[in-house]
Amino acid sequence: MNLPMDVFNHEQRESIWKRYVKEIPDNNYFLTLSCILGALYPGSESMVPKVYDLLGLDWNTNPSARSGWTCCSGIAYHGDIMPIEATLLTVARLWSIAQELGLDSVTMSCVTSFGIHCECKDLYEQEPGLKDKVDRLLRDSCGRKFEIPKYINHISDIYYHYRQELKNNHMKFQLLEEKTGRPLRVVDHVGCHYSKLFPEEHSLGGTDYCEVLSGMAQAWGGSSIDYPERRHCCGMGFRQCMISPNRGGTMSSVLKKMRSMAPFEPDLIVTNCPGCEVFLDKEQWAIYEVTGEKYFIPVITYQELAGLLLGWDPYETVGIQFHTVPVEPLLDKIGIPYDANSPWVNCSVPR
Amino acid sequence: MKKTESKSQVCPPSDKPTENDSNESINLIEDVKNLPPWFQRDFNLSKKDQELLRGYLDNLDDEEIINLYYQLREAKEIRNDRYFYPNMQILFGTPFEREKDRREQRIWAEKYEAENEVIQWYKDAREKSCVWWVENHIIARHCLNSCMSCGACSALCPAAEFFDYNPRIIMETVQEKDEQLLVDLLKSDTIWYCYQCGSCKAKCPRKNNPFGMITSLRQLSQIKGYHVHSIRGRQQYAARHFWGGNLWNRACTLYFRNVESETHKDFGPRFEAYDKARDDFFTRVGACPDSEGVLSGRKVHPETLDEVRKLWQMGGALYMWELIEEAAKNQAQEWGMTIDEYHDKVSREG
Amino acid sequence: MSQQRVLIVGGGVTGLRAALTLDDFGIKTTILEKTSQLGGKVTGYSKVFPDFRDGKKIVCDLVDAVSNSAGIEIITESTINDVQKRSGHYAMTFTNDDVVDASAVILACGFETFDATKQGEYGYGVYPNVITSVELENFLDHQGPTKGKLLRPIDGNPAKRIAIIFCVGSRNKRIGNPYCSRICCSYSTKQAIEIKELDTETSVTCFYMDIRTYGRGFEEMYQYAQDIGVKYIRGRVSECSSLPNGDIQVRAENTLLGRPVQGTFDLVSLSVGMTPCKDAGKISQLFEIKQGHDGFFVAADEDIHPHSTTAEGVFIAGSVTGLKPIRDCLLDGASVAGEVASYLRKLNNK
Repeated sequence: MNLPMDVFNHEQRESIWKRYVKEIPDNNYFLTLSCILGALYPGSESMVPKVYDLLGLDWNTNPSARSGWTCCSGIAYHGDIMPIEATLLTVARLWSIAQELGLDSVTMSCVTSFGIHCECKDLYEQEPGLKDKVDRLLRDSCGRKFEIPKYINHISDIYYHYRQELKNNHMKFQLLEEKTGRPLRVVDHVGCHYSKLFPEEHSLGGTDYCEVLSGMAQAWGGSSIDYPERRHCCGMGFRQCMISPNRGGTMSSVLKKMRSMAPFEPDLIVTNCPGCEVFLDKEQWAIYEVTGEKYFIPVITYQELAGLLLGWDPYETVGIQFHTVPVEPLLDKIGIPYDANSPWVNCSVPR
Repeated sequence: MKKTESKSQVCPPSDKPTENDSNESINLIEDVKNLPPWFQRDFNLSKKDQELLRGYLDNLDDEEIINLYYQLREAKEIRNDRYFYPNMQILFGTPFEREKDRREQRIWAEKYEAENEVIQWYKDAREKSCVWWVENHIIARHCLNSCMSCGACSALCPAAEFFDYNPRIIMETVQEKDEQLLVDLLKSDTIWYCYQCGSCKAKCPRKNNPFGMITSLRQLSQIKGYHVHSIRGRQQYAARHFWGGNLWNRACTLYFRNVESETHKDFGPRFEAYDKARDDFFTRVGACPDSEGVLSGRKVHPETLDEVRKLWQMGGALYMWELIEEAAKNQAQEWGMTIDEYHDKVSREG
Repeated sequence: MSQQRVLIVGGGVTGLRAALTLDDFGIKTTILEKTSQLGGKVTGYSKVFPDFRDGKKIVCDLVDAVSNSAGIEIITESTINDVQKRSGHYAMTFTNDDVVDASAVILACGFETFDATKQGEYGYGVYPNVITSVELENFLDHQGPTKGKLLRPIDGNPAKRIAIIFCVGSRNKRIGNPYCSRICCSYSTKQAIEIKELDTETSVTCFYMDIRTYGRGFEEMYQYAQDIGVKYIRGRVSECSSLPNGDIQVRAENTLLGRPVQGTFDLVSLSVGMTPCKDAGKISQLFEIKQGHDGFFVAADEDIHPHSTTAEGVFIAGSVTGLKPIRDCLLDGASVAGEVASYLRKLNNK
């Protein structure tokens, strides 16, 4: 059978995504956290400051007890228990802290957060009196002032921006099958709120052929797969996944995607959204139990991908042992060494 | 702004233990294996336990319950060179915390209500029609200019694939500007199926925004109390305490211990291993589970929490939670249940 | 009068018809054509709607008549470089260095088809089996490269399941073309009929938002299409993607049945809309005439003097004033000639 790549013209794809480019600043990043990533893949969050340090970048987070990080309240807003004004204020406070530190680029590892920051910025543009009103409310409630930040970037944008430098100067491994030299086939799954809310202004590559993860994967040796349900939502759906009786919808979305990508024989899935990471990884087990269909394609975040290729410890630093779909087969393919018998890895659980 | 040292594993906590701190645990909850029902996260409590917990909570006055909660929460010990708060993992998601939140938020609302323009807008909107809302709500009024019913939104809507849901029909209903149709829509399960993915917004050739319109309609449904007429709408009470409780007490919408293997069997057997090794794992990768610090799992500093709570009061969140609370209370009374029974019921129905 | 000359910019059917009619009046013309051949876009259509006449023959007959006329000069492979307005006439220099002096100018520079790569979601250029309607014309031409057979570009196998997607590049604020391109519904229906008549076993599905076949005989053509089994699904296509064997998957909503549909096809044809000719901006600047928001030329009075512009002696006709069927372009050619003749007579009498 022809390689699935033959049905896909890469040069043309490139000319389409290049219509959607955005400026990514080189330095001076304000770092915010993610609720979901922090809860389930904390290694990914801890690796971000390490990568910033590796690249010698200037970054900062909360400077004082009063200026601690809080969630942007995006999940609560999209879960409909938070009026937009409360979200605007929460985000304005984060911007105020960034400006306190003299940083003009707000970065986040959560795609919902990225979406929320962009939605707030967009609302200020659409509603002329809104900035003044929020200025007043913020000042009256906690004495802060804020400006709309110059740059709002998802951390995957930063990783994309520095992908060549990471590869050329720091990475020890590539996305190649060690035995044969074959580039690994990568499904890049971009979070909906990254590529669909404001494709022209805020995404790298637009909705249809989003480039941020695909470019990373290709720079690091892999080849990108296109499959019919490429843009389909993973199904996380906020209230759909977090209120248990509703989670069947999430599972159905993941199943649809898995069925669509399987014929293209991917070696791994990379995501930049914490919600997508959780559900693409974990629902593969539920799908197996309910339908008997075995996919078990490893799903990793772009931070984990970078961490593994940088040669960081898969268990101590990256934390892959707690993925529902085992990541060890991927490490075997690439040739990354690991010690599965290390006691705390807890790999006595069936794979 | 140059930093002089690597922050990665360090991320200095705001409060660090000193030599004078004793290393004795001052954990006030001693018997963690046999927690009373007001500290249990079980949605299947027996009738007897429900009565017990209601009796206990009703017996505490506002000041008592609030003080007890914070006393428990702020109790600390030293672990891995940082302050660690052992009771955080017991207090979250419990009837005790929910009751405390109800009382505390009522006090906050009374204390700060004053002439808040945001709350006043929502109060006024409550008395006006649904048609007025979709023309005037700051979100809704930008979402629909003219819909030609082309169906591009429904074509790739994930909810439309799996459920009896159709964003095109919702936009057409709003475009009709018919009050009764809107009220019926808001009372039904329909608007609650949306995944909030935004695929529809990306596709619309007229630059309309079904994604934003649904958000706005869902808020309207709760402001008016229509959400209690549908199964999925009633789930908002669970959402108000789940996300609302996490935000109010931990300044994040998802607390790292919320995802328990008991309630997430679909996550597979390896997830159980994660559940058991959670604290160890977090510490090893440099995060700060229930501890002082700035990375994942951090315990939020009281000063930060105080600041952000004021924002939520100012921004109308407390008012919205009050309305959701009121609607739930009325519905629970109608069904002859305690508020805790009602909470458990709507968390499991779908 | 015998000294006066009219320059006709554009050697398509509009320009040719205008030249022939002016020739009947005894007025000399020069046709300026930027490509190497006369005939314009109609040369590419082996059948034109609604009566399925041979488009190439229409062009051939016009070109023959023009070539046989002594009063019509033809310049090809050249465009206008410079325009000098004098009293009562224009002196123009062309890219081939010719200079022509004309008392009146007719701008009949036609249209471009929409660049389908601008709507990335349809995968044109990325997936081999997604083509445009222009390429479909080549397939359907019995004298063309495939002798009228429909083949899948990716592997050369027969294409038995065809999808035609309407409104590509039209009625879309998102890509900057909010207008309707007027003739695509009709030409698409024509193509669907051709496919069915070629082989009744081949299935054809048209995905549309509205059917705007509103000329004389066009509605009957649409009904005929349905009679012979062309399927029409009312729903704007949101995206196309490819299966491993090159089959194309199309997603739309069947809005009349109210549910999303996904179809698999051998060949997908994008019915592309049209934009004004590439050099419309340059020409409007050279002659100091106005373009509308959509880029097409604006008349002095759209209703009463649709061929005159705000620049004296400069006339407009054909698609460049707004998209129209071939019949109407020919009509335009004849009527603008009448306007120009009348203008020249007034000029002479001064």
